[in-house]
Amino acid sequence: MNESIESMMAEESSVLQTRVLYWGSQGEDVKKVQSRLAQWGYLVGEVDGIYGPATYRAVRRFQRANGLVEDGVVGPATAKAIGISLSSNQTSQASSSGLSREGDVYLLAKAIHGEARGEPYIGKVAVGAVILNRVKHPSFPNTIAGVIYQPLAFTAVADGQINLEPDKDSIKAARDAINGWDPTYGCRYYWNPATATSKWIWSRKVVVKIGKHWFGN
Amino acid sequence: MRRRITSVILVLALIGVGAWGAYQYQMKNDYKTALNNAYQRLFHDTKAHVSNVQVAISKALLSGTKEQNVLLLSQIMQQATLAQDKLAQLPVSQSDISKTNKYLTQVADYSYALIQDHLDGKDMDSKQREAMSKLQDYSKYLTKELSDLQDKIMTGQMTLDSIASKQRKGLRETNEDMLATSLTKFEETLTEYPELIYDGPFSDQVMNMKPKGLGSKKVDADEARKIAEDFIGKKLNGKLILLEEGEHLEDTATIPSHTFSLSTENNRNTTGLYISVSKQGGHVVWMANPRGVSGVSLSMKQAQERAQKFLEEKGYKNMEPNYSLRNDGTILFNFAYTENEVTIYPDLIKVRVALDNGEIVGFDAATYLHAHHNRDIPEPNLTQEEARGKVRLDFNIDSVRLAIIPKGTKEVLCYEFKGKYKENDYIVYINALNGKEEQILQIIKDENGTLTF
Repeated sequence: MNESIESMMAEESSVLQTRVLYWGSQGEDVKKVQSRLAQWGYLVGEVDGIYGPATYRAVRRFQRANGLVEDGVVGPATAKAIGISLSSNQTSQASSSGLSREGDVYLLAKAIHGEARGEPYIGKVAVGAVILNRVKHPSFPNTIAGVIYQPLAFTAVADGQINLEPDKDSIKAARDAINGWDPTYGCRYYWNPATATSKWIWSRKVVVKIGKHWFGN
Repeated sequence: MRRRITSVILVLALIGVGAWGAYQYQMKNDYKTALNNAYQRLFHDTKAHVSNVQVAISKALLSGTKEQNVLLLSQIMQQATLAQDKLAQLPVSQSDISKTNKYLTQVADYSYALIQDHLDGKDMDSKQREAMSKLQDYSKYLTKELSDLQDKIMTGQMTLDSIASKQRKGLRETNEDMLATSLTKFEETLTEYPELIYDGPFSDQVMNMKPKGLGSKKVDADEARKIAEDFIGKKLNGKLILLEEGEHLEDTATIPSHTFSLSTENNRNTTGLYISVSKQGGHVVWMANPRGVSGVSLSMKQAQERAQKFLEEKGYKNMEPNYSLRNDGTILFNFAYTENEVTIYPDLIKVRVALDNGEIVGFDAATYLHAHHNRDIPEPNLTQEEARGKVRLDFNIDSVRLAIIPKGTKEVLCYEFKGKYKENDYIVYINALNGKEEQILQIIKDENGTLTF
């Protein structure tokens, strides 16, 4: 069993997630970092797309000079300071059969971003969980898209905010929700008591308050 | 001269604005027509599908053979699914169609369960016939309501474009009323809709399953806080704040729990740490620390050892790692409970390990707490070879073992065959008691881990 899990894990790659570059990384992203660092004089060496000792030292020098954590790793903060984005929105390489869950993750992330942008992380996961709880419930459409695009269901869908590009947190929250984390314990509704206009929503059975939203059934 | 130029410019501007306005108006009408057409189609389709359900149910009640019934039931299933799917796309609010939706979903789901019974050689029993004829009664009401609406649409008394302009608000309201009133009328008849007893993903029994693995001890918020602090282990840099709970937490939450978030004085913007402790039994249901992870210093194997050790420390013995998913600098492991060398998939715990320092940043035992109980695992009636005989000969098997898998409200003991068929990976489950092929899963491995479909 153990070997089979290990064989499942291939090398570091990125699927809708920010890649992190470190000693040993290779590829276009490394090249981008190197050429910027060479331009600014931090890197003395070749721009070859291989994260070796020269690149490592250059990254550390850059981090020291810019008040970043000096770890020699190009994570989100360092990448931002260098002014590049690390393949963050590369779509996943679909498997040979075309089966993948990334489409669902991205759609859910868009809904979360539109509905719960200003909420704490747990509030974002909770909104994702409500959508998934609806999918599993007989009273609602039985697909993620069916639930999200149900007419009159979500304001962020009606006013087009769902089409904003989801941020990293929303994508992470969507993934957490799809992996099963449900901070709402099975709720199918949520509302913001400060802005809810529907009288009907107040007849729901309240379960828990997360951030600004009440969650209920 | 100057004046003339100004007026010429103004006139040109006016013409421009006029043309632009006319174009916009035309566009708006085009969009409205397109939307209205789409809604019309959905409505008429819904009505047709519901009528088909009604007819197919009446035939299924009359039919004398299982073979014919399987065909009719699959028709019911298909037509009810289509009706539900299309109804949910009409511009009606969820509160007006929630019971109708549930009715249509369960008609489809129930038919599927009956098909399985037929394939097992069982006839419809008197209770199932009774349930079916109840379902048919409702399909009659629904067909009638939808026919009345259809007449109104045909004679132009009603349109379906709810996104009408503001001036037409009055008309829009009556419109919405008409559609909503008819549907609510049907909703009211559904209040006495019987609870269908069957095993399917949308049955009330599956929806209302109570957790089995909690124990009986009641735990108040202070005790829960203590349990949470012990679970996190290290010295907390802040305070655990109890999330406000609603009055229906106890009766509607899947696992009623005390939920805490860790608030740190100086940094409110961090993603924080969250933990939940069940009110009954005082178990940690889940814990999450969604911090950012930069850099990788652990191997896959080290991370798995960390996760396993963590579970042992928390008192979860005999947990076996199965699948894993790698995202955002962390790996999520699925552990299943094992007993007498039988893998018990319903007893599932997820552990997430951060790859920078090996910290446990996620734990989720909700599934385990739902399913775990003392089981009497039966002896298989079939030998492994006999079970192998039930699987396609050209399925290239890599490994075999005994496993318990969930099936509706029940669990079944199966032989689990992992292998390859035409280049793809699958798992085939053969019931170890009666030889039935219970389930086939397709396995997709990608660079981040493994998914089952």
